[in-house]
Amino acid sequence: MTLKECYDAMGANYEEVLGRLRSEKLIQKFALKFLDDPSYDLLVTSMEAEDYAEAFRGAHTIKGVCSNLGFTKLLASSSALTEALRNGYTPEAAGLLEKTKEDYAATIEALRAFQNTNS
Amino acid sequence: MKNNSTTTTRFLKFSLAAVVALCVLIFACLTIYSDKETKKTIEEVGTIYMTGMSERITMHFDTAIDYRLSQLENVVENCPPGLYSNETLWERLAASAEAREFDYLSLYSAETGEERFYGGNVAVSDPAPFYQSMKAGEKKVAVAESATGIRMLMMGIPAAYPMKNGGTSDAVLAALPIDYLQRMLSLDDNNSLVYCHVIRRDGSFVIRSGDAFRESYFDRLGAMFGGKDSEEASQHIKDLQDAIAARENYSNIFTAGDMERSHIYCTPLPSSEWYLVTVLPYGELDNIVNNYNHQWMRTMLGGCAIVLVALLLVFARYFAITRQQIIQLEELRAKAERASQAKSEFLSNMSHDIRTPMNAIVGMTAIAIANLQNPQQVQNCLKKISLSSKHLLGLINDVLDMSKIESGKLTLSADLLSLREVMDSIVNIVQPQMKAKNQKFDVFIHNIIAENVLCDGVRLNQVLINLLSNAIKFTPEGGEIEIALSQEESKKGADYVQVNIRVKDTGIGMTPEFQKRIFESFVREDNTRVHKTEGTGLGMSITKYIVDAMGGAIDLTSAPGKGTEFRVTLDLAKAEITEQEMLLPTWKMLVVDDDEDLCKSAVNSLREIGIDAEWTMDGESAVQKAIHQIQCREPYHIILLDWKLPGMDGIQTARQLRQKCGNDVPILLISAYDWGEIEEEAREAGICGFISKPLFKSTLFYSLRQFIGDGDIPATESAPHRERVDLSTRRVLLAEDNDLNWEIAEELLSELGLSLERAENGQICAEMFRQAEPGYYDAVLMDVRMPVMTGYQATEAIRAMDHPDAKDIPIIAMTADAFAEDMQKCLDCGMNAHVAKPIDVDLVARLLIKFIEEREEGRR
Repeated sequence: MTLKECYDAMGANYEEVLGRLRSEKLIQKFALKFLDDPSYDLLVTSMEAEDYAEAFRGAHTIKGVCSNLGFTKLLASSSALTEALRNGYTPEAAGLLEKTKEDYAATIEALRAFQNTNS
Repeated sequence: MKNNSTTTTRFLKFSLAAVVALCVLIFACLTIYSDKETKKTIEEVGTIYMTGMSERITMHFDTAIDYRLSQLENVVENCPPGLYSNETLWERLAASAEAREFDYLSLYSAETGEERFYGGNVAVSDPAPFYQSMKAGEKKVAVAESATGIRMLMMGIPAAYPMKNGGTSDAVLAALPIDYLQRMLSLDDNNSLVYCHVIRRDGSFVIRSGDAFRESYFDRLGAMFGGKDSEEASQHIKDLQDAIAARENYSNIFTAGDMERSHIYCTPLPSSEWYLVTVLPYGELDNIVNNYNHQWMRTMLGGCAIVLVALLLVFARYFAITRQQIIQLEELRAKAERASQAKSEFLSNMSHDIRTPMNAIVGMTAIAIANLQNPQQVQNCLKKISLSSKHLLGLINDVLDMSKIESGKLTLSADLLSLREVMDSIVNIVQPQMKAKNQKFDVFIHNIIAENVLCDGVRLNQVLINLLSNAIKFTPEGGEIEIALSQEESKKGADYVQVNIRVKDTGIGMTPEFQKRIFESFVREDNTRVHKTEGTGLGMSITKYIVDAMGGAIDLTSAPGKGTEFRVTLDLAKAEITEQEMLLPTWKMLVVDDDEDLCKSAVNSLREIGIDAEWTMDGESAVQKAIHQIQCREPYHIILLDWKLPGMDGIQTARQLRQKCGNDVPILLISAYDWGEIEEEAREAGICGFISKPLFKSTLFYSLRQFIGDGDIPATESAPHRERVDLSTRRVLLAEDNDLNWEIAEELLSELGLSLERAENGQICAEMFRQAEPGYYDAVLMDVRMPVMTGYQATEAIRAMDHPDAKDIPIIAMTADAFAEDMQKCLDCGMNAHVAKPIDVDLVARLLIKFIEEREEGRR
């Protein structure tokens, strides 16, 4: 699996990120680090603890990272979730969280598949 | 030349032979001379030796004879006459003789002869001279023979004794075997080299030694020479006899027959009629000398051989060198001949090529003069003269170039060159010709890494114009020509960029044979198809030479009737200076072109100058996209439209856009062509302006800048005279809680040379700033959403500090939020600017430069 295929699998825009970071090696390095990024855990645990300010920060960070890495799909769902949580809890948040979880899982899966074929 | 070479060879051979001969001759002479000298020396030595020897033997002989004679005198003294009776006297005499080892004793009287007293009968071999001497009262020695045939030595001294017959004796005679003498003189010594004979005056032997057996030495000599050399022998014998008769010393060297060379020395012996003959055979000596001579000869020959071999080697080497030089000369001559042949071919071709337009000029001038009253005719003539003049000028320029090239005087300068300007000017130059031939022309530019390069602009232009004008020349009306420029990483390193230029046409093409010769001088495909095509035939060889001189490569693919494609690859140095910072407001733009590469590269270029651009490949979708953006309340600020589009062309698309989207949005037409013809139609359709291909960053920037309104003047354009800020000496504090974002930011920003320091949250950030020395940080990049203390709070804290930098240090927000209210909030809490994630390095760099400059400007 190439990095481009990995990006395609997670619904992300490889060309865009390549234009920005300019080197496949860099993208690969950062993309694989996403696996260890703690923001998602922060988001999920805070949502469970109903700490919506922290949950907003988690979602916001995911949004920032995704935008840096060009994870377009996850960026969209986390972005929506961020807005839903910006001013505290809103009814849409739960559904958007599920969507975010789904996209996050897909992203992680693609990254892991890529990691396995390249390790 | 060949004659020369054989002459040289012959001379070398002759001189070699002569030197060899001379060498041999000198060595032979030396050997012969030395041989002779040796012989002479030996003979001298022999003579001296033999003289000494003879003297010694003579002395011995003298002593021996004297001794015996004195013994005989003793006998006489012991028995004085008259003391004893006759009987007693005779007995005493005999006893005395016996005691003295005489074998015989007698008394002699001239009247009565001999009277024996002791020993056997002994007769003197040659009695006459002996008895003569006795009678005269002399002492004498002579050879005698006993009755038994033993050779005896007879000696006599005067003495007057009474004899048996009553007379008185004249002398006493005594004899003893001749062996005594031989012993005494050690004549028979076999160890000695020399042997001696004692002979009488007539040659008969007194004492024989060695292998002599004849009675006479002269006979022996004669026999030694043998029959055939008897003449020589008798000469020798005669000489010897003469010397003997004169009682002189005689010395001679002879080689008798097959005997070895001998040296005889003859000397008379005292108190006798005898002669001593000493013979020195040279055999042994000669052997030694010959050995020595042979040794010497061998050494000489060896030396000679060594000298000859050395000479030979020297000659061979010299010969080889000469040959080498001759061959080199030959090569040089051939080269010079080829060059001069090429020159004369060049000249003959040239004169033909020059004469053709010259004839036209002369002829047309004549016609014009003849038709002065007919302005139209004159005008026509002048037009043709002008054409021919231009052709002639081009020809002369080419020839000058060629001669520069051939004399190696063509030099390349390293100008700072904008590829955009080069392509622009080329396109401008060739477009009229293409339009005249109704040819379709396209320009493709992609993957531009470095727009500014170091290259000789004039020569690069020449190459491009040569290639393009060839394409125009050999492409029939309605054909297609395209030029493509692209760049890729150079193999020569990061300071270089590989520039690929491709010129393709759908012209008449070339045969494979011609493709091989195309880069040679004065070559034109010579068949009916190309007959009417004009040119010097130098263009391609000049092109090839320039590309080679630039360190590039040129190659081509072509097929007759299909077209030709030339590819030029150059590794050019990137220009040192940084591109002028170009920044436009963050407009949203749409690029419409049917070439995907062009779209992508244009979008990339636009992004670099700060514009958010999208692209699409046909008119219909462009209209839809524009409508969609209006519905999203984010209408495009500017739309770039290609003129030639599949389906709906650029002008039609512009009409549609004006209908659907109103007249607010500027629409620009992208065109590689001279837009003079379509300008009116385009303006009517609502197109505001034109932008020429190729779409370099700078082209886009300068074309779009005119649409900047009053409110959005880009910051960097405001003070172009200001010094550039070098980011590599700057230190920036970056507040970012997320590791991954920090790493990305660090990776991208450190490319600018910035030193980055990280603060994990707002509080740490504020604390680091508080503790920093004044002027330590040049700027702060601030994430907004951070634990413990947000970016907003941190900024407020910093601004509220009592720190010299607190009020004016640039603080730039970096956040995933991109809403207008977020930006406003940033500015409200004291930040200078806001950039949205993803991090755009160029944007961050520009903002940093801008604020650092402003701050330093403000502090001055």
